[in-house]
Parts: sequence; structure tokens; C-alpha cells
Amino acid sequence: MSALPNSPLVPAGWQTIGPFFPRTFFNEGDNDLTRIAPTAPPTALGETIILHGHVLQEGGGPCVNAVLEAWQADALGHFRHPLDPGHAKADPAFMGWGRAWTDAEGHFEFRTIIPGSFADTSGPRAPHINLGILGSGIMRRLCTTVFFPQHAAANTADPVLAVLPAELRPLLLAQPDGERDGLRVFRFPVLLRGEPHEETPFFLD
Amino acid sequence: MPDALPDLFAPYDEHTQPQVPIQHYAGTYTRNPRRPPFRRPVTRTELTGPLDLSAKLHPGDINLAETNGKPAQGQLIYVTGRILDEDSRPVAGALVEMWQANAAGRYFNPLDQRDAPLDPNFIGNGRCQTDATGRYGFFTIKPGAYPVPNSNKWWRPPHIHFSILGPSSLSRLVTQMYFPGDPLNAVDLLLLSIADREAQQRLISSHIPTQQIEGEWLGFQHNMVVRGRHATPPL
Repeated sequence: MSALPNSPLVPAGWQTIGPFFPRTFFNEGDNDLTRIAPTAPPTALGETIILHGHVLQEGGGPCVNAVLEAWQADALGHFRHPLDPGHAKADPAFMGWGRAWTDAEGHFEFRTIIPGSFADTSGPRAPHINLGILGSGIMRRLCTTVFFPQHAAANTADPVLAVLPAELRPLLLAQPDGERDGLRVFRFPVLLRGEPHEETPFFLD
Repeated sequence: MPDALPDLFAPYDEHTQPQVPIQHYAGTYTRNPRRPPFRRPVTRTELTGPLDLSAKLHPGDINLAETNGKPAQGQLIYVTGRILDEDSRPVAGALVEMWQANAAGRYFNPLDQRDAPLDPNFIGNGRCQTDATGRYGFFTIKPGAYPVPNSNKWWRPPHIHFSILGPSSLSRLVTQMYFPGDPLNAVDLLLLSIADREAQQRLISSHIPTQQIEGEWLGFQHNMVVRGRHATPPL
């Protein structure tokens, strides 16, 4: 990829959110991707699920007050955004974005739907949710992606999962974790720093 | 269009971005991965992003300098600037979140247990949406400096945290704004974590001539450039 010879401006340097990201920024429903507003009805398309987990730091302790931002396609694999050629078909009742923060145990939770797959120029994308993780000491957003074990064939063909060595791919699979209120629950543990076989793989932002 | 897309979001120049770990900041040692990040193909999920979050993250808190009609303690300031992309085009409709310490250098946050006074009339966070020219603005008070615990007398210079969302996942930015002329800037470990000196300087705001500001606010101008070229067109 070439540099940007014609670019007159350089993007600003990132800095950490620090330890004091305001809790008052979080409103009820911010972690619910299924609604475009807290009072709006949830989308009728797709299987609603709970996605949760813990964010842990080196040594296994909790990463408290981390902020996680999720972004994903709708149930049919569309994004309501002009850079998706299929955006006109995107589900108008689906937000696709949510924000959660971790509690004293490092726990976070999202309510969303199983996203659809779609064909991209790089290859067929398996159902996935992108997560951006911010926290005190994290100087630049850490980017990772959640995949689902029930889509094994699609995962095998996914061009992003394919950049990981095979032994690390299972670390990006959410784990079935029972049911709650009739919804399937998936668990996605995040280890920010650890031994190579357990540290969550992250992607260049 | 797809073939032109990677050119929209080239990777960051590492010299203009903070490097970790940072001395005296334990979290930079324990919360950043050992393994280098994997380079991935940029697909629609990365290129797109939520275009209108205002129904969820409500904008409108632009005056932090009073709470319930009561004035906060401190120097009244007005911080304004534009959100631009790498082609100098304004990013309209971006959500801009900011938070800061009070005039005594303490955050209105239960996690800040420092022995400095809280100001009941200062919460210290705001959110707005940029106008058609990419402009944002907040009325607030100048934050105080504060010492970092267990850091051998590292004091954070007065700074304001900024979080910018839109129009793409790859244009997300979280940064901090510093004030011109503060002697703590030159020794701040977070600013110094960026190798490129010009990139450090770009995080420091500039004074707005006093004649240009209505009312009794000291003005600071601070543009922020988010990644991406020719800002995403609206739907």
C-alpha cells in the first residue's frame, strides 16, 4: 500500500481513555445493538443473542472500566452505510453498533443478533462482530473480531480469520454458554496480554 | 468502488502514534498485547460504521461550566475546532465526546480517589455533533494538572479527553488535547510516547485571539484529523 503523497493532513495521535471515562456517558441500552434508539423496538430480523465475557489483563486480573464498542452487519449481511453496495437493503430497524463497559470483575455484555455473512472483495466473510477495546493504559484501540462456532465452513473461508495461524483461530470463536430468557448466550473471553496460546489475537487498526 | 477502498484508510504512520509501554503507567505494561497485531484485509465491516448515533449517544451537552444553573469553579474557556479528514475535508455529523478533570485536577468519577476538592457544580463531560463544516465547541473550565499515583512525581498537564465517532470504524479516534505554553507538556509521558515531535505538537491547542470570542471565555482552537480520505458521503 502506498503512502499518501497527496495527503495534506496527518491523522491525530491516539491517546488512552485513561482510568476516568465517564460512567455517565453510558445509558441504558447502549450495549443493545438490536435497537436504533433505547425506546425503539428491537429488529424483527435475525436471532437475538447475548454476547458476554471478561476482559482480563496480564496475570489474569480484571480490566476494570474498559470500553468495548461492537459493530456488525445485520441479519442479512448488510450495513446501513454508503460504503456497502447493498446498503439500500439494510435493515432499518437494526443499529449494529453498541457500547459496553466492564465492571469490577472485567465483565461486559452485549445484546445483538447473529450477523449475516456477505461476499467481499477479499473473500466471503463469515458472520462476525468487530470489537474495539479501549481502556486505561491502552494507548490505541485494540481491534479484534468475534466469530461463531456454528459457522465452521464459513469460518474456514473467511479472509480475516485466515490471516491468523491455525492454532490461534479458536481464540476468536465465541463459546456457547447456555441460554437466558430464551436467548442463546455466547461467551467471548478477552485476554489483553498473556502467553502466546491464550492471548487474544488483535488486528492492526 | 471496492478496489479503491484500501486507499481510503492507509495504516497509521507509527512515528505519529504512541508507543507502549510507558514508564510509570502500569496499565501500558499489562493491557497491551505481546504479539504484534495481525494485518487483515480491510472489508466492509471495517470500512463502514454507524452514521447516526445521535439517537443513542445523545448530543447537546456543550456547556460544562455550570450545573443546575450554578457556576463551576475555574477559568471559563471555550474549546472549539473542526474534525477533518486527511484531505482537509470537514467531517459533518461526527459525534464528539469530551471529559476532563475539574479546576483542582480531580475527576467527577468514583474511581478518582485523589485528595483534591470535588466541585459539586462541575461534572466535566460533554457530547456534541459536528455541524456541516465539521465544527464542534464546548464551554467549560480549564482543567487542573494532577499527579499520577506511584509515578515518581509525574504530573499530567491540563488536558481534555476527546472521543470522536464517525463516519467509518476506521476513522474512530480517541485522543487528548493539551494547552499551549504549559511547562508540563514537554515532560508528559503520554505526549512523549509519540516519537514524532510535530505529531506531539498537533495535540496541543492554540489560543484564539480574545477579541474574536463573545462573552468572557478564553478561547482555544483545536482541530482534530481523523483517518480517511474524502469524507464519506451521506446516505
